[in-house]
Amino acid sequence: MPPWRGKVITKVVAECGALRGSGSEKLMFRRALQRGLRPGLSFRRLGTRRGGSTLDWDGKVAEIRKKIQSALPGDTWDPLYDTSHLPPEHADVVVVGGGVIGLSVAYWLKKLEKKRDAIRVLVVERDSTYSKASTVLSVGGIRQQFSLPENIQLSLFSANFLRNINEYLGVVDAPPVDLQFNPSGYLLLASDKDAAVLENNVKVQRQEGAKVCLMSPEHLRTKFPWINTEGVALASYGMEGEGWFDPWSLLQAFRLKLQSMGVLFSQGEVTRFVTSSTSMETSSGEQVNLKRIYEVHVKMDNSLEYQPVECAIVINAAGAWSGQVAELAGIGMGPPGTLQGIKLPVEPRKRYVYVWHCPQGPGLETPLVADVSRVYFRREGLGCNYLGGRSPTEEEEPDPTNLEVDHDFFQDKVWPHLATRVPAFNNLKVQSAWAGFYDYNTFDQNGVVGPHPLVVNMYFATGFSGHGLQHAPAVGRAVAEMVLEGHFQTIDMSPFLFSRFYLEEKFQERNIF
Amino acid sequence: MIIPMIMMIPMTWLSNNKFIWINSSMYSFIISLLTIITLVTPYNSMYFSTLFFTDPLSTPLLILTSWLTPLMIIASQKHMSKEPITWKKTYISLIIILQTTLILTFSSTELIMFYILFEATLIPTLIIITRWGNQTERLNAGSYFLFYTLLGSLPLLIALIYMYKSLGTLNMITLMYKYGSLNNSWANNLMWLACMMAFLVKMPLYGLHLWLPKAHVEAPIAGSMVLAAVLLKLGSYGMMRISIFIEPLNKSLMYPFMLLSLWGMIMTSSICLRQTDLKSLIAYSSVSHMALVIVAILIQTPWSYMGATAMMIAHGLTSSALFCLANTNYERIHSRTMLLARGLQTVLPLMALWWLLISLSNLALPPSINLIGELMIIITSFSWSNPTILLMGANMLITASYSLYMLTTTQRGKMSAHAMNIKPSFTREHTLILLHLLPILLLTTKPGLILGPTF
Repeated sequence: MPPWRGKVITKVVAECGALRGSGSEKLMFRRALQRGLRPGLSFRRLGTRRGGSTLDWDGKVAEIRKKIQSALPGDTWDPLYDTSHLPPEHADVVVVGGGVIGLSVAYWLKKLEKKRDAIRVLVVERDSTYSKASTVLSVGGIRQQFSLPENIQLSLFSANFLRNINEYLGVVDAPPVDLQFNPSGYLLLASDKDAAVLENNVKVQRQEGAKVCLMSPEHLRTKFPWINTEGVALASYGMEGEGWFDPWSLLQAFRLKLQSMGVLFSQGEVTRFVTSSTSMETSSGEQVNLKRIYEVHVKMDNSLEYQPVECAIVINAAGAWSGQVAELAGIGMGPPGTLQGIKLPVEPRKRYVYVWHCPQGPGLETPLVADVSRVYFRREGLGCNYLGGRSPTEEEEPDPTNLEVDHDFFQDKVWPHLATRVPAFNNLKVQSAWAGFYDYNTFDQNGVVGPHPLVVNMYFATGFSGHGLQHAPAVGRAVAEMVLEGHFQTIDMSPFLFSRFYLEEKFQERNIF
Repeated sequence: MIIPMIMMIPMTWLSNNKFIWINSSMYSFIISLLTIITLVTPYNSMYFSTLFFTDPLSTPLLILTSWLTPLMIIASQKHMSKEPITWKKTYISLIIILQTTLILTFSSTELIMFYILFEATLIPTLIIITRWGNQTERLNAGSYFLFYTLLGSLPLLIALIYMYKSLGTLNMITLMYKYGSLNNSWANNLMWLACMMAFLVKMPLYGLHLWLPKAHVEAPIAGSMVLAAVLLKLGSYGMMRISIFIEPLNKSLMYPFMLLSLWGMIMTSSICLRQTDLKSLIAYSSVSHMALVIVAILIQTPWSYMGATAMMIAHGLTSSALFCLANTNYERIHSRTMLLARGLQTVLPLMALWWLLISLSNLALPPSINLIGELMIIITSFSWSNPTILLMGANMLITASYSLYMLTTTQRGKMSAHAMNIKPSFTREHTLILLHLLPILLLTTKPGLILGPTF
């Protein structure tokens, strides 16, 4: 064998060996190569390859075939270059943000349209790996134990949705959706001074139809022997429709269903809104500029290429970055104190989640426990693993520019309280940790839903400050009803409108952690 | 008339940038007023030369064509406002070229000249659709439009050449006196088919109508207007002219097309009820109305010809007006979906009045000329065969329901929140619709003008 041939073989074999694959695959590769190397068979020297010395002959042939195919009628025609990675030039509704809220809005828009294919929906997502999205980094809990009736209603609707998920998101010929829903409930603990508030909240929850029960410390000790009830005056335990599930499965289920319904997905970043404005006078004679977005520029990754998408409605479901998207539309550019000057008060806040292993920890019936000290934890899996964290106070807010985890936070702020509440957690070993963003509404920690008063065709569905995932199906329906009917039908979400920021009416949700 | 039209092209290119729209609209308007002279003719026909003539069939179509030119130019002003000046001038020139070829077509005497111009009208339309249409699908739509029409009309060329060889002339006037009767042989049947196919595709006949919704939806407003108003009528005009030469075979060969039209008119009306896209709804309603015209032409009685010509003009004006109204919606909301632009009556009341009047004409409300056309067609088809009245009655019912559905969805109901700051209607838009409506209303007083040669 000539020496260069040997070098070629060894180089190719080494490359194949470096490929991901088991040992048997490498063996197969080697055998195939050696078979091909027999003279007279398929192995050709460099100069005798098909296409002569043109490199990548097959690639070029494939390109030419693609061009000819796209010029024939029947398909969209890209005369100059391949535009299949770009979003379409026109869509009726553009949903900015492909997390669970954006997908939920798209789903309900397609579900509630009266005729098939009435509305053309485009979902634009900047990061198709969802590496920083709040949805997939979430703990995945759902509870009805809120203080505001609207939030309770949203959770009830969503719990019903998740319970019957296959009716809603089932796709023909696809495996049924499995969310790994653990209906273990939430346990909220209250000290003496908060007991009255907790009792009041439970009353509201019961009125709305949630099944929650109040527990005294003795009751707690009987039911959950691993708990230390020192400092606990009252506890509320959700008995139905509360627990946690896998948010990634929900996201994928939505995605699959939306693809089957004909929603267009595009990967790109929204960099510009082209607006047209008209100046109008209010009844008191003030001049206001009403704006309308008629084009969205979607920029592709790692390139300057962008596609202007002509649209009728834009839905801002960008999660933690909704504030930036709103600024692109000119929301908040105005003298402070006026309606034009009110920004969307949603900003990213980093929260840590730690996973630890504790062999003598609480058992399988452990709910998601939210302690007096704002520490929470829940069971993860069946192997004595738990995950949890703590909402930091305003002074301890971590830096939201990255998703680095601060392990000292666990040591100093989380573990002591965990160990006080659950003595078994005195010996635990942290397995891993991650950080995620809350789309934190700095005004009242409650969601913003509905159209903006001045940019008339931008609808918000953001700012849920940590309880967006559990409200996603209901919020999606609310926004879709607003777009299609003009008013909220199932649940009255008018307290969530943007105008409350201008009118300074806080719609404060107290049970946030 | 033709020379002024051609001269408009240099006028557009040499005009001051600020004046191109005004100049082209005004001059084309003046030319259209000139064409009305052809209405007043001593013995019902005007023979300008051996090449050009007008008779009561082509006169209304001529007037419609030239009336539509200023309307097309006025309608295109908004969506072309952001384009560079050269492209604006090119667009207007394309419209003018299209109008010139259409005028030549409608007034030609020779069938070959008619055919050449028939094909020639495709080119400017194709350029308008594919270059200035709104979405990526427009390229697809353009291909469909081009190839359907071309493939349909190629047999016509062959048939015409054969007829020229056998008859010595293809001049329509002299041929009207030809005593010809074709016997029922395979070759003659094929020739009949060849002659009719081109026009049936253009009309369009129900089975070959696939290009129409695509082309209408993707075309810019001027393209939609001219397509709906005039180009479809080319097909029916051609059919009426060529039926003279292929006379006796009609009685036996027209049955399949009659069936397709009768069934098609109900099917396409029903599809209209399911449409979500406004322009698509109007396109399918065009197919439905044209199916009625096909039925009338194939029956070949004097009354049916009257109904067909009346229907052609009425539908031309009404469809074009509907497209203009849909375009006013589109320019404000940037979407053609009906659901997203509701309750416009409260915001744009005068536009709602135009919507009402045009929708009412579309559903053939008496005493509009649409009704006269439809009524005559229904009467003649009943006399041809009694059971057709059931289908025709069903069609009128469904037409009424989808017209009212379109009206109530866009005008009535609660206004959507995102439609709050749409710009109020421009005077230009009101002028446009009014200029569409004026002939409809005036012709109601003297419909004899559009009832064609058998009146």
